[in-house]
Amino acid sequence: MTAVVEAVNLRKVYMLGKVPVEALRGVNLKVEEGEFLSVLGPSGSGKSTLLNLIGALDRPTSGKVLIDGADISTFNEDRLTDLRRKIGFVFQFFNLIPRFTALENVELPMAIAGLGKEERRKRAVKLLETVGLADRINHKPAELSGGEQQRVAIARALANDPRFLLMDEPTGNIDSKNASEIIELVERLNEEKGVTIIMVTHDQRLAKETHRTVHMLDGLIVDERVNKP
Amino acid sequence: MKPTDVWSYALSAIKLRKLRAALTTLGVVIGIAAIVALLSITQGLQTAIATQLQRGFATDALIVTAGGGLGADTGFSLLVNDTETISQVGNVTTALAIIQRVGYIKNAEGKARRVTIVGVDFKAYKAIYGSTFIAEDGADIPSKPENTAVIVGKRVSDPWGNGTRFCSKSDTVEVIWTNTTARPLRNESYTGMVVAVLQEVGGFSLGGPSDTSIYIPITQAQSFFRTDKCEIIIVKLKSDDKATIESTAKTIRSLFGGQVAVTSAAAVLSIISSVFSTMGLFLAGIAAISLLVAGIGIMNIMIVSLMERTREIGILKALGMKNRTVLLIFLTEAAIIGLMGAIIGVGTGYGLAELVVRIFANGGFGGGLRQGGQVAAANVVRITPVLTPTVFLGAIAFGLVVSLIFALYPAWRASRLKPVEALRYE
Repeated sequence: MTAVVEAVNLRKVYMLGKVPVEALRGVNLKVEEGEFLSVLGPSGSGKSTLLNLIGALDRPTSGKVLIDGADISTFNEDRLTDLRRKIGFVFQFFNLIPRFTALENVELPMAIAGLGKEERRKRAVKLLETVGLADRINHKPAELSGGEQQRVAIARALANDPRFLLMDEPTGNIDSKNASEIIELVERLNEEKGVTIIMVTHDQRLAKETHRTVHMLDGLIVDERVNKP
Repeated sequence: MKPTDVWSYALSAIKLRKLRAALTTLGVVIGIAAIVALLSITQGLQTAIATQLQRGFATDALIVTAGGGLGADTGFSLLVNDTETISQVGNVTTALAIIQRVGYIKNAEGKARRVTIVGVDFKAYKAIYGSTFIAEDGADIPSKPENTAVIVGKRVSDPWGNGTRFCSKSDTVEVIWTNTTARPLRNESYTGMVVAVLQEVGGFSLGGPSDTSIYIPITQAQSFFRTDKCEIIIVKLKSDDKATIESTAKTIRSLFGGQVAVTSAAAVLSIISSVFSTMGLFLAGIAAISLLVAGIGIMNIMIVSLMERTREIGILKALGMKNRTVLLIFLTEAAIIGLMGAIIGVGTGYGLAELVVRIFANGGFGGGLRQGGQVAAANVVRITPVLTPTVFLGAIAFGLVVSLIFALYPAWRASRLKPVEALRYE
């Protein structure tokens, strides 16, 4: 199997006011195609920072992020933007556009990528069916439950056929019943469609459901465990 | 992102805050409306006055008055028979002397009205002002009138403009003049007969017929006012081209040793016209300040909007939106507001101009200028606001450009937001 994502000696230093904060202190990680990886760790351990760097939302202070073998830290802003279209993001707080319906929210990344109206509508409907929201497509986020909003967000993340999904505490803001449904959905996507997934969480039980779990602490990967073959 | 998608995205953002967008638009509306209203009124005023002047002026006429320079009284006066000398000059077809006094006309009921009494040669006057020195009933104005003949302007006959006549054709009237050189002052008068009522001239005139004057034969004026001096000699030329006007004016000036001023109607027209243009631009400039205020309003709103939507911008960027697309969305929002404001503003401004003109027409404006003067007499000038295509398109373009300029900074800032930081923004 080939590595979709590879982090090499990744470092990130933030300036918190005038105090430098080392969020990542040399992280090495490889994610294979079709893998479902969980990143576990307490808050402040640097897992979200890692996700942002892999997702091309931020640049590392030093080290490399390779996506399909290409070092994205050398990319200019435009190429990074293009790359983001090929990465599916799912956030803890859903980050849907409140004034858009579920359908319009799922269409948005396709509109950004320049897809025509009819094509993206057809595809958005299909994606919402996949996540089990066929009957809610014209509802706005405020009219949907947390679990439903996250399903919309997952459908949106899948809109442009991404190379991999990045999930930042996807169930962190959802009750446990809905959370397990979301995880089932994600697992199904991984198993049936072969989507590569990197999920950040601080929930041990959730992490166990994934193929492999890496533990982070103070900006370093301190432990790595294979849950399922 | 496709342009149509950028457009509908921007529109959806505006719709989200309808009241705010409406108020911002109102700012642009007021600015553009003020500019359009002022420009179309001054343009209308300019057109109205120019038309009226042209009617009362005759562009192929020169006006000769005594006095070589600005207001310098040299004691020199033009004489009625100077017309004979002037007639000898090449390019001159007719020269006409005008004697003017302020006096009164008294009708059969003994009521008097203040008028300008103008002594002219009826035949020559007709030749120069053929389009305005016309009887209202279409009858011929006598070329060789009786000494007692009196022609009255429309406003003398029908002062209130409602058909209630002060005097009519064939009425016997008394022409009165106060002899200010006699001591004690003494009213001189004679009985005349109205041989014609002029059709309405309107507006100003320089030398030409006026609605508030009465006309008597020049010989009668000479004996009645006991003078051979005249105030004005009007010279009609063979052509109204600039070269003819200038060379003839020069010849006439030298003929009187520089003791006369020669004014061409065309020159006066062009001066007045340029004065109004300048005035219009000046007023529009002041109005433009209000548009700048509107622009600052747009900038303010865009910055607030930028802060409110920081997270949204973060999402858009995480979904792969390019910086320039974010910039374009913000500029499009400003353009929609600016364009809407400008279009409504042009309409409102023109409507406002119509309203102002109507209010003035119903009393305000004409009242002050209605009084007849020595040389130029004015009646109500009817103004129609003029909205030229230049002003129309210019105002819309201006509104749009101002909106865009003030949106540049907020839009630029929005486009430069870092996705990670924008997503963290609460």
